Amino acid sequence: MAAPNVRTSSFSRNISVVSSSPQIPGLKCGPNGTTFISTGIRDLDRILGGGYPLGSLVMVMEDPEAPHHMDLLRTFMSQGLVNNHPLLYASPSKDPRGFLGTLPNPGSSKEDKPTAPDLDQGESLRIAWQYRKYMENQKSSIDDYSNDFDMRKPLERQFLAGRPIDCVSLLDSSDLSVAQDHCATFLSKFPRNSSNIASIGRIAIQSFCSPLCEYSDKESDMLSFIRLLKSMLMVSNAVAIVTFPPSMLSPSSSTRLQHMADTLLSIKAIPDGDKELEKLLTGYKDINGFLNIHKVARINTQVPVILEAKTFSMSLKKRRFLALECLNQAPVDGSSGTSYGTSGSCSGSSKSGALDF
Amino acid sequence: MADSIFRKLRDGGEEGELAPALTVEETVASPFALDVSCYLLANLSSSILAGKSKSEGLVLVTFSQSPSFYLQFLKQKGIFVSSSSKWIRVLDCYTDPLGWIDQPSPGVITEGSSLIKLHKCVSDLKRLFSSIIEAGREMVGDGKTRFSVAIDSVNELLRHSSMPLVSGLLTDLRSHAQVSSLFWSLNTDLHQEKVTNALEYISTMKANLEPFCPSSDGKRNALENLFLVHQDFGKGRFHIRFKLRKGRVRVMSEEYHVDQTGINFSPISSVETIIAATKSLIPKASYLVHFNLQLSEKERFEKEKVVLPFEHQDHGKSTEIYDGRRTLADGKTEATPLSSGELQADVVSSGKGGEIIYFRDSDDEHPDSDEDPDDDLDI
Repeated sequence: MAAPNVRTSSFSRNISVVSSSPQIPGLKCGPNGTTFISTGIRDLDRILGGGYPLGSLVMVMEDPEAPHHMDLLRTFMSQGLVNNHPLLYASPSKDPRGFLGTLPNPGSSKEDKPTAPDLDQGESLRIAWQYRKYMENQKSSIDDYSNDFDMRKPLERQFLAGRPIDCVSLLDSSDLSVAQDHCATFLSKFPRNSSNIASIGRIAIQSFCSPLCEYSDKESDMLSFIRLLKSMLMVSNAVAIVTFPPSMLSPSSSTRLQHMADTLLSIKAIPDGDKELEKLLTGYKDINGFLNIHKVARINTQVPVILEAKTFSMSLKKRRFLALECLNQAPVDGSSGTSYGTSGSCSGSSKSGALDF
Repeated sequence: MADSIFRKLRDGGEEGELAPALTVEETVASPFALDVSCYLLANLSSSILAGKSKSEGLVLVTFSQSPSFYLQFLKQKGIFVSSSSKWIRVLDCYTDPLGWIDQPSPGVITEGSSLIKLHKCVSDLKRLFSSIIEAGREMVGDGKTRFSVAIDSVNELLRHSSMPLVSGLLTDLRSHAQVSSLFWSLNTDLHQEKVTNALEYISTMKANLEPFCPSSDGKRNALENLFLVHQDFGKGRFHIRFKLRKGRVRVMSEEYHVDQTGINFSPISSVETIIAATKSLIPKASYLVHFNLQLSEKERFEKEKVVLPFEHQDHGKSTEIYDGRRTLADGKTEATPLSSGELQADVVSSGKGGEIIYFRDSDDEHPDSDEDPDDDLDI
């Protein structure tokens, strides 16, 4: 019911949207000489400071009870197809191409927002005329870089046909050599030179340590695969996103995999019908799950990113668009507490016992 | 709550989706997965016979008990199974799982009535899969009718095959168009945590049995614990986790009680809410600094009801301001009005005879001038 409380700080980096070569859409220059590509979710782009930097490895820790990592993969892949970036997709299913049918289409969210102030408004805004030009600039540039995806509509044919999409099934072989070869040949197409960027690629690997894969008990093999992938990524213009369920690995292997990630996200399922949570959070009914951000990639710098908030709620706005929001604490119920004077501390209600202050 | 699992299994999954799958987990301290499986079996059987279920047949794959045990059990529950029953097939992997007993025809499946099929090659999971599907098809035909599969226990399967193969078998069963639902049981103490996690990963529902008093691993005080354990042996908590479509998890709990007739479920008697789980989800309050500034209807209403400090003053009665200077009850020139009756005055009297007349210097001033202006707040 409440409008999403999108918390932006008053200081935001003024990132210029000029891409280094005009033929490649979907690139944004970032600080320290990095270039970003969009994650597919606008809120996530903003939280991560622009998107995924080229040459980084993104790992997503799945929750076996929730399928939200698929949404992250879907938006990533769709964004790549919309921007015409070549894509490599690997998954532990017999027919990975089938997943392409579930990719979302860019939603036409323009119908909700007014694109340009109409004449009447133009009159009243005459004093602030200089801001209008910034607003217009902003809108046009965002559309090129990232899109809002409508999770209900499947991706249109024009984005799928004739695009370089390579699908690999992780069930095919008993070890990772096939997948490794595919990744190596794919990444060799995007070498990183000091000059301009010729083309960029996206790799999406789903459920990497799934128990269905025959190599799933060979943990050292899996670790060396990821290490190899990461080293190949560092010298190419590509981004790889790998999702894995950490409970399928021994704790030490899971920790090592997490260490190897440049950007580390995790998904947490939310219990249904939980009265405690309902009291603690507003908008509990719309939340589908939680997204935690453990690490944000920092390339060419030693200054870390310290996020204001690390846990975000994933929900669908208008049942279609993925949105990530900070958790909003519900105000303490007025009837339960006594009148203003008697409760001294700010969280006088005993219901917030679960929180530590 | 156990009813809800049974209903989910009975109703099966939608077209084009993977079949719902249940893992029943037991531990050494609460080894009642067999009772839970029997309970589900009995309920499923009666609903299949009554025609209320989406599936029209049941394939029971037995590993830990002989088929006659189950047939006996069903008979006890009033469900008679004969060799001409068209709704149930039993795949017997208990009698001779590895094919050690010599048979005239080597390998595969022979013998027995059409009801019970002996399966000899448990380590070959592809063959097991095809036998299960074949048995199911015998019952319901090749078309769109579906059947349910119950695997007695996965412990033995894991003994003979590796985890990826077993999860492959279970996922293949789930994705087969004619399987409407499937369940299996597992003893978590026999396997590594990875294995348990993997089986939970591929199932849509998870049920686990927890005894009332936790068993201690240490050897000390074993006798005391033994007494408690013995007392509470057949009882405990039954927890269920459902994976819902939206990505949420529904958690339910019940109490169970095992006796001669089987397992009985009852709602939880003592109210102990699980707050620990919630704690781990919500980060510390330092991150929850974003207050929602918009009020819902209820909150607005509550806000109206709150009485502010200034509101209940000035109702006509003159206010009483205690400024610590009321020393004598009578005969003083004071600027502030005194309310009648409630004055607590210090009476300084030294008997009937004399009086002390005392003039304070600060009486000339307005009483409020050097005092804290908040003194007149009536909180």
